[in-house]
Amino acid sequence: MKLNIDGLLVYFPYDYIYPEQYLYMLELKKSIDAQGHCALEMPSGTGKTVSLLSLVVAYMKANPLEVTKLIYCSRTVPELEKVVEELRNLMAFYEKETGQPQEILGLALSSRKNLCVHPEVSQNRDGKTVDGQCHQLTASHIRQRYKHDPSIPICDFYEEFDAHGRDTPLPAGIYSLDDLKEYGRLKNFCPYFLARYALLHANVIIYSYYYLLDPKIAEQVSKELAKKSVVVFDEAHNIDNVCIESMSVKMSKRTLERCSANIETLDRHIKRVKDGDEKKLREEYHRMVEGLREANEQRETDVILANPVLPDEILQEAVPGTIRNAEHFVSFMKRFLEYMKSRLRVQHVVSESPPSFLKDCAQKICIDRKPLRFCAERLASLMRTLELTDLHDFSALTLLVNFATLVSTYAKGFMLIIEPFDDRTPTISNPVLYFSCMDASIAIKPVFDRFQTVVITSGTLSPLDMYPKILDFRPVTMATFTMTLARICICPMIVSKGNDQVAMSSKFEVREDVAVIRNYGTLLVDMCGTVPDGIVCFFTSYVYMVRIF
Amino acid sequence: MDEQGCPRCKTTKYRNPSLKLMVNVCGHSLCDNCVDLLFIKGSGACPECGTAIRRSNFRYQIFEDAQVEKEIDIRKKILKDYNKKEEDFDSLREYNDYLEMIETIIYNLANGIDVEDTRRQVDSYKKENKDAIRKNQSKLSRDEEYLEMLIEEEEKTSSLRKQMIHDTEVLEKNKKRREKEALIDELMFSDMSAADILTMHKTTARPAEAVDNSSFQPSQTTRYSTGIQRGQQSGLIPMPMTEANPVYHYEDLELERCGPIYPTIDDIIEVGYLSNVRAASESERAGGFEATLCCQRALQDALGGLFYYPELAGQSTSVM
Repeated sequence: MKLNIDGLLVYFPYDYIYPEQYLYMLELKKSIDAQGHCALEMPSGTGKTVSLLSLVVAYMKANPLEVTKLIYCSRTVPELEKVVEELRNLMAFYEKETGQPQEILGLALSSRKNLCVHPEVSQNRDGKTVDGQCHQLTASHIRQRYKHDPSIPICDFYEEFDAHGRDTPLPAGIYSLDDLKEYGRLKNFCPYFLARYALLHANVIIYSYYYLLDPKIAEQVSKELAKKSVVVFDEAHNIDNVCIESMSVKMSKRTLERCSANIETLDRHIKRVKDGDEKKLREEYHRMVEGLREANEQRETDVILANPVLPDEILQEAVPGTIRNAEHFVSFMKRFLEYMKSRLRVQHVVSESPPSFLKDCAQKICIDRKPLRFCAERLASLMRTLELTDLHDFSALTLLVNFATLVSTYAKGFMLIIEPFDDRTPTISNPVLYFSCMDASIAIKPVFDRFQTVVITSGTLSPLDMYPKILDFRPVTMATFTMTLARICICPMIVSKGNDQVAMSSKFEVREDVAVIRNYGTLLVDMCGTVPDGIVCFFTSYVYMVRIF
Repeated sequence: MDEQGCPRCKTTKYRNPSLKLMVNVCGHSLCDNCVDLLFIKGSGACPECGTAIRRSNFRYQIFEDAQVEKEIDIRKKILKDYNKKEEDFDSLREYNDYLEMIETIIYNLANGIDVEDTRRQVDSYKKENKDAIRKNQSKLSRDEEYLEMLIEEEEKTSSLRKQMIHDTEVLEKNKKRREKEALIDELMFSDMSAADILTMHKTTARPAEAVDNSSFQPSQTTRYSTGIQRGQQSGLIPMPMTEANPVYHYEDLELERCGPIYPTIDDIIEVGYLSNVRAASESERAGGFEATLCCQRALQDALGGLFYYPELAGQSTSVM
């Protein structure tokens, strides 16, 4: 049906609309008009997604210069798929009503694991191995070598995309992850790089929070997104957790042991390159001396290690003299690693702030703050120079380097906690170091600053006035909507035993039990028999729903 | 931690985890028992590499890798001499080159490359910059000062917070005690029934629990008592600009003499007063005293106030 929301013509794909959906759309329009942020709460099951999508799409059609993109962020891949389906439904409705084909391009983006079509690489279960193998096939130095030596394996899909994919833009339509894979197989393009390239001219982008919030990933993927976009964070009640997680680091003793193995490997590589062809190391050294930042037009396949701090905290200076040389850098990391090992040898809980940690570090091993800030960059540049492709091997060292960069950059809002025992094994000595971010607003600040409208929405966002404080933003509107019900139809009841007196619970440990499943099934069937009209049933997960049926 | 054993008495490490490893300048480690045994005399040779070392140079080993210990030792010694800070250099590039030079020196000494040359280089540097080294010894670089300031702020905030919590607790306790006493007094002396008194106290006690949740804001001390901004490194405080006052104009001092005009210096010399005055000696003239000055003073004393008549003082207001 067609609606008039405050002067805007909105196509709504269903015949009936709930009053709370209408109010939701009104509030949303208000904040998009004001070009400000908002926080809206509406219970799950009331059609939040479709009202949001229909309003923003209508706004984009009516004012294409004011809002150029819709960026929809959700948490899990099934949720992304659901949103794509709703969007497809909406677009079909538009076509039916107006009779014209739509020019909107909408697509979902996920990690390489979900989008790879290469027959061997896509067989891997683990996301990190897929990333590593993909990188081995598509890194720019490997492709350089392929030009001289055709026997080196490379990814055909990427080559095809690189040659032709950028010229033929993705035709208008809505693409889910499977659609992208289909298209990729058809045209022999790599779906992942195709999607990343298409982000620039897509109208609707659907991906996960981390692509916007985690500084390591956001720099690569979301750097060029336009300012005039509407960003929606769905299921935002745990967004502060996501922000905090993306800036926190956890290290155990095992990580440090693997780190020392990594450093040995790095040392060996350096010696090998030194014996073979010193030119590359010397070039890198000169670049460090001149203070040239890594050329910004980095090939998209090459960025393997990103800086874990926010872009405006990265010092735009030359790398300090203490870590210019590759060997000096390795011994620098060795010292830092030894210091971390000694810190973890405590018998009681220690909680410290970054400045006092840095002071102690400077006293014991004579390492200042400035070289630590450049650790991540230096390691990235070194790995590129040594042409090391499998990042998976160096994950422990990457973690240590990220920790070093974070602790030296941020003086406030972080806390260092060293525990001698792990939670689950309170007697076995297993020291763990947590570097936690205490301030959720740090990671999300660039998002609020950069985009003109950010919508925080969820089914459970109470207390609502806490979110502007936690995330440190000033919303134009904050509103809570309730479900309207035709008659009294909420009767809270807790069922703890089934018909055959088996204790029923959807606790994770017992929910897979056959008796429990059978009991839930019988309960549902019996309720359906007694309750008039329809029933809406919320399951713990889609998988569980299938099990019960 | 101690998977490595003492290289000399190998077995003792695993049996006795409380034994500590000690490390020396050559980078090899020994458990403290072996150190006692070998270095009774105070100096001896390292059992692995044979370099001559002293007992006093042994330190408890903090880090597992002895190589790292040795490097840190060397680094600390070198950094005591090469202690220039970033502010001493004109450009960042020079500072970075200086840092790299230090790294190369330490690397060479730690790995035994060109040891002789490096030592000579270090000695010559020390000789050249002896004063600068001494001056910089106690100076903290800007970065370190910033860190110190942050740490101090944190400590102050946490101690203030603890103090506040302690104060509120004490207040709470006192208040409770007073209320209880008031209740008991009422029960003893008042005429109302016991139940009434109890209910009255309960209702008055509940609203009195209004906790004043004044948000805790430690007063940020940003200024020292002299008005210097805290955390400011440059000592230049802009001079307080006074508004353009009218420029000061010198006017001659008007001497109020109640008598005839005093003779000037020239008059004294011409008229001949000087013949009645003792001539100034060498030392007096060196001090700046001339006979003319003393004569003038004496004459001023004599002539001043001669026209003063006490009975006319109330009438006349004008002075010559």
